[in-house]
Amino acid sequence: MSDPTVVPWPRPVSAARPESVLTVDDILVRFQTRDASVTAVDRMTFDVRHGEFISVIGPSGCGKSTLFNVIGGLITPTSGLVTVAGEPIRGPHPAIGMVFQEESTFPWRTVLDNVAFPLEVRGVSRRVRLEKARDVVAMVGLTGFEGHYPSELSGGMRQRVSIARTLASEPKILLMDEPFAALDEQTRLLLGDKVLQIQQTLKQTTLLITHSITEAVQLSDRVVVMSYRPGRLKRIVDIDLPHPRTSEIMTSDAFGHYVAEIWGDLRDEASRGMAEAEASRGART
Amino acid sequence: MAETRTIVALPITPRLGAVMRLRLFLILGVLIMWEATAASGLLFRDVVPSSVTVVRALVRLLIDPDFWGNFGVTAGEVLAALAIGATAGLAAGLLLGASRFLGRAYEPYLNSLAPTPKIIFFPVMIMAFGVYAGSKVAMGALSAFFPVALSTAGGMREVDAALVKVGRSFRLSTWQMVTKIYLPAIRVPVLNGMRLGFGVAVIGVLLAETKLSNQGLGYLVMQAYARFDMPQMYAILLVVFAVAVALNAGLGRLTEPRHRRT
Amino acid sequence: MSISRADHAPALVGAATLLGLFALLELAIRAGLVDRYVVPPPSDVVASFARIVTEEDIPHRFAQTALEGLGAAVLIALVGIPAGLLLYRHMVLRVAVQSWVAALAAAPLVLAYPLFLVIFGRSAMTIVMMGFISGVAPVTLKTLEGLSATRRVLIDVGRSLKLTPAQQFRLVLLPAAVPTIFVGLRLGLVFALINIVGLEFLINFGGLGQLINELAERYDLAGTYAAIAFVVLVSVLFFLALERTERWLRPGR
Repeated sequence: MSDPTVVPWPRPVSAARPESVLTVDDILVRFQTRDASVTAVDRMTFDVRHGEFISVIGPSGCGKSTLFNVIGGLITPTSGLVTVAGEPIRGPHPAIGMVFQEESTFPWRTVLDNVAFPLEVRGVSRRVRLEKARDVVAMVGLTGFEGHYPSELSGGMRQRVSIARTLASEPKILLMDEPFAALDEQTRLLLGDKVLQIQQTLKQTTLLITHSITEAVQLSDRVVVMSYRPGRLKRIVDIDLPHPRTSEIMTSDAFGHYVAEIWGDLRDEASRGMAEAEASRGART
Repeated sequence: MAETRTIVALPITPRLGAVMRLRLFLILGVLIMWEATAASGLLFRDVVPSSVTVVRALVRLLIDPDFWGNFGVTAGEVLAALAIGATAGLAAGLLLGASRFLGRAYEPYLNSLAPTPKIIFFPVMIMAFGVYAGSKVAMGALSAFFPVALSTAGGMREVDAALVKVGRSFRLSTWQMVTKIYLPAIRVPVLNGMRLGFGVAVIGVLLAETKLSNQGLGYLVMQAYARFDMPQMYAILLVVFAVAVALNAGLGRLTEPRHRRT
Repeated sequence: MSISRADHAPALVGAATLLGLFALLELAIRAGLVDRYVVPPPSDVVASFARIVTEEDIPHRFAQTALEGLGAAVLIALVGIPAGLLLYRHMVLRVAVQSWVAALAAAPLVLAYPLFLVIFGRSAMTIVMMGFISGVAPVTLKTLEGLSATRRVLIDVGRSLKLTPAQQFRLVLLPAAVPTIFVGLRLGLVFALINIVGLEFLINFGGLGQLINELAERYDLAGTYAAIAFVVLVSVLFFLALERTERWLRPGR
């Protein structure tokens, strides 16, 4: 019996036109707290095209992570729809692979067993899944560490294990929530290069949630800018920088131009967010 | 991230009514089963007396000055044991935790002795401290020493290195380092060790009293057992458990994070 | 990995201190500074090992105490862990009885041993049940704590991969909780062993506890100390076994 979810690696590249594989349609998320209702995400609408790298950026507290959980199917939105290939999602969808912001490797599994995890729960035979996991481990540059436990790895290596684990499940859409947030800047740049390289080899459709403007511009084809609470769509910026790209792109004039442009959009939002956060902290004491 | 936290945190408080109903149901269930067993006579000779009898014995016990005398003896022994055992444990733990070398040299021995039931040292304690309160206090102190020492030593090693550097940068003396940096930083592990130490000290003292003594709660229980006065035995157990549980909860309260006074 | 000479130094110093203390004690006793009827000379204790092993049937007693401990430990794990799981699964039940279980863990249940004697008789059953009752509550509490403390993101990983509840439990919750459960098992076993050996000693029945009682009543102090060494050995073996089991169940720290 052949498992339909296991496709030869690397995956055959489909000569696709930019068509949307995922749509975020009028998403509204409202939380009921003890004394008020808070709108975290307010009528967000955008789509993700096949094979593209798209980032969602916004100041802290703009509801990015809520949006991440909604797209991943972990939170049901108050209203609105997320559709994958035209089909509305209810709960986690197999086409979407999530990479979390926090350290999420299983400390009791070796690198190889961590990466093979999604295949294991799908019932893929041990031989096949380990072979496959080895390929993905190589892709994220961790060959030689297959037998190590996460506690023996650095933060950057562990985050690569998380990414590899998600890639092993062969998602149509790779959904990442600030995966590099806890890393130092240099590691972050190098890891960004790695992710971009993988994304381009696999033509992997990727949606990245981030608060880093340089990261968004360095990696993305398009950047979705969100406003501070309630999180609304502010603008979508096309990043017209050449491919293949590495972190060296950061020295170019065009790069600086895009960063300045997005910072112009975000500046007011971020300072409003900071002022509100400080005010609410003051009110609590 | 913060948003997802609130959304999962919301539904986690069940209605108080349901909890109270379940508690009532459980208590009633136990009482009914107890009474049924008592009435059935399945367990021979009043092992399970009717709860009415137990309550009556409890009241009789609580107004008996003799009981309070024995209670005082045991309480005094336990407190003395805890004072001695915890002080010694704290000192040893501070020393072992402060020096990596000392810790590695002596902690393995403490680790092997810690889980050993201390009651086996009772014959020796009788030889050393006599048949009266002294040997009971020694039993309790020996029991309480190990959890406090190990918990303190462990806590010392977990102290944030940055705090120690802050202390050094202000050129604190050794004594100041201990009182201003280390002791406040290890408050929670020390209190947890004392809580455990209290638990084992109580067991140590009570076991010693049931083995050989002419006063104290352990002695009282053995008297009740010898007379086969089960209701009184239950009454003593209830009082002892209630006091131990209350004290343990009190110690636990101390380990909770500090809040600003409102 | 190379082990340098310096790594052995603390262990050597520790052992040397211990031997030094014994030597000092020996001298003090011989000089009459310490009463030999309180502390027997270490040389006597060493000499009495062979005697109590052959004359007092140590292997059999050792096995009896160890088996009682094992019985209690198995019961504690078989009841304590599922009970913790039950409390984790049922919110209302947890809120209703968690403080009761904590109370059970704090109560000096050993005082109730005459009750167990009446119900189970003067038998190994009494001892095992006493050990079980006094050790089960910490395991339940720690199991609940470990399951509840499973990091949110690990549960989300499972949810994003659409694990079934059984898979989520077996592959995520349980392994995540293992270290905390073992903290509970260690704690439970400390209390169980205290009660088991204590009860053997008190009711003069069975294994090593009874032996110590008898030797002490015969004023055979050297023998008493030698027997104490075997009790220490039992508990050390138990805790080593527990550590091994934990490392086997939950590799990778």
